[in-house]
Amino acid sequence: MFENNGQLQLIIGTGTVNKVYDEFLSVTGMSAATKDDVKAAAAAKQPLWKRMLKALGDVFVPILPAIVASGLMMGLIEALGKAIPGFAGTDWYGFLDMIANTAFAYLPVIVAVSAARVFGGNIFLGAVIGLSMIHSSLLNAWAVGSADASINYWHLFFFNVRQVGYQGHVVPVVIAVWLMCIIEKWLHKHVPEMIDLFVTPLCTVLATTFLTFTIIGPIFAQLETWVLAGAQVLVQNPIGACIMGAIYPWTVVMGLHHMYNIIEAGMLASVGLNTWMPIASAANFAQFGACLAVGIKARNHKTKVVALPSSLSAALGITEPAIFGINMRFFKPFIAGMIGGAAGALFGAVTGIGAKAYGVTGIPGYLTIDKPVQYTILLAISGGIAFVLSTILWKEETEEDGENGEDGKTAESGVIGADGNETAGDFINNVVFRSSAGELVQPVAGKVIPYTEIRDETFNSGVMGKGVGIEPEEGIVYAPMDGEISSVADSKHAIGIDGAGDMELLIHVGVDTVEMNGDGFTPLVAEGDKVTKGQKLLKFDREKIRAAGHPETVVMLLTNSDDYEDFELKL
Amino acid sequence: MKEFNYTVTDPVGIHARPAGLLVKEAKKYECAIMIFKGEKSCKATSLTKLMGLGIKQGDEIRVTVEGNGEDECAAAMETFFKGNL
Repeated sequence: MFENNGQLQLIIGTGTVNKVYDEFLSVTGMSAATKDDVKAAAAAKQPLWKRMLKALGDVFVPILPAIVASGLMMGLIEALGKAIPGFAGTDWYGFLDMIANTAFAYLPVIVAVSAARVFGGNIFLGAVIGLSMIHSSLLNAWAVGSADASINYWHLFFFNVRQVGYQGHVVPVVIAVWLMCIIEKWLHKHVPEMIDLFVTPLCTVLATTFLTFTIIGPIFAQLETWVLAGAQVLVQNPIGACIMGAIYPWTVVMGLHHMYNIIEAGMLASVGLNTWMPIASAANFAQFGACLAVGIKARNHKTKVVALPSSLSAALGITEPAIFGINMRFFKPFIAGMIGGAAGALFGAVTGIGAKAYGVTGIPGYLTIDKPVQYTILLAISGGIAFVLSTILWKEETEEDGENGEDGKTAESGVIGADGNETAGDFINNVVFRSSAGELVQPVAGKVIPYTEIRDETFNSGVMGKGVGIEPEEGIVYAPMDGEISSVADSKHAIGIDGAGDMELLIHVGVDTVEMNGDGFTPLVAEGDKVTKGQKLLKFDREKIRAAGHPETVVMLLTNSDDYEDFELKL
Repeated sequence: MKEFNYTVTDPVGIHARPAGLLVKEAKKYECAIMIFKGEKSCKATSLTKLMGLGIKQGDEIRVTVEGNGEDECAAAMETFFKGNL
């Protein structure tokens, strides 16, 4: 049941959605957010499946706090419910169980918002898509398969639409929102501005939800049936159990593992022993081992703080944080987990251990297992193998300081040295928009937002051209492209650059900062100067901007973006 | 060629938003519109250069219009300046 509550989905390699995925991949390069990601995007020659995983990771990483919290809470509550007789019936259990479930039950909404952000769509429309997929008018996905739930259909054109929700799913939601963003952007471009405000959202939501329920839904229904049938055949012998132990995490990724309690319940009813649980336990505990290895080995602080709590949650049987947050992202730990899971599952099948109930795996599994000693060995095998393999296979990708110098080198000697000093790391070679005239990278370190989200009507209305805003993390503006300085404002807070293909770029530091009359701004270039990408253009004092009461958002707009039909933001 | 002078009344001068509006307006016409401030000048269709002129409230600028339909264009631009800048 742990897994029931926490299903997360990914369709990989199913022929029908290949087209969708090809495009999906072409978008993934957009979502570079951290320096590591930027490197990944810069090295965009990566295999498609890797970039696909990265896109999933980009969507998933920001929501990790929510699911790590829920995962841990759920693991503990369900374990307590099994450990203390009577606790499961108390009000406290009911209350805590509900809270722990929330993030998983409504995961599509959280995922949809995050995906909309990654793919550059409107996050509120994203939320609507997510909400529609778990609407209370639909049969709860967790109830599918239980005896008293019958599935109703809507007949739309020649489609039979299952009235089933996507509780706990991830991948169908990511695909749906990705679709939504494409539709939304296309409409924004082609719908006349006068009616854009109501036509675009309306058509976007309608088209996206229709496609979601008529195409994505049936694919998943079919997958569920196949996986269930396949699993029932596999568990009948040790070799099959071994295979199942290896592919189990894939079914978790696809969100199909919530079907397994049907198998478990069947086993208990027929032979009184649940031999499925050791397989699931081996697979889950192997994910714990693989994730723990990353947590211990990682030097990157961010990786470490995600990996350790995620592995703890996996040890309790909730593997989604570990799988999506760590193992799947780096992939080698995921392979290690598959191998560990296979070994553990084989051992479990050979020794013939089983559980007397279903619902818990990992450490809480001791509460239901019939032979604790063998179970301990099973956990040690699966977790241990995965841990060791993950430690060996996974190498932390280190940031190569020289890398920025390759693309973002500067003629200005010493500004960004090839020696990889700290300054070099601050210029982020991350493409934020492009057109036929060329690509532009972000001019300052910090979080990038589309111009429409800049909190100033002048900039977000597009009257000055399209572009991006950056919430700066440091007070230095770097040249986002090669070009010539066309203007430096008297008040020193804005710089114009003419670039290739007649691009006229404006970099404006802060909002309403013209009022500061130059105080706090130190231009490092003058009108007519030739500049190269990565060169320092302007220093600004973030303290002074804040003290003056202005937002410090650095605005970068292609003022003549209308001249380029293929102008697009790459966020 | 047509031309007229105008004294800017907008408190921020021809900066950010006012400049953006001016460029949008100027792009509507076929004729070439130039903005002169002191010795500096630029096309009215280039936002970055326009902002580079640093035109402030109270500055007097000269606007020249040349090309097809310059009469209507000059009249329209003058109206635009009075209404917006």
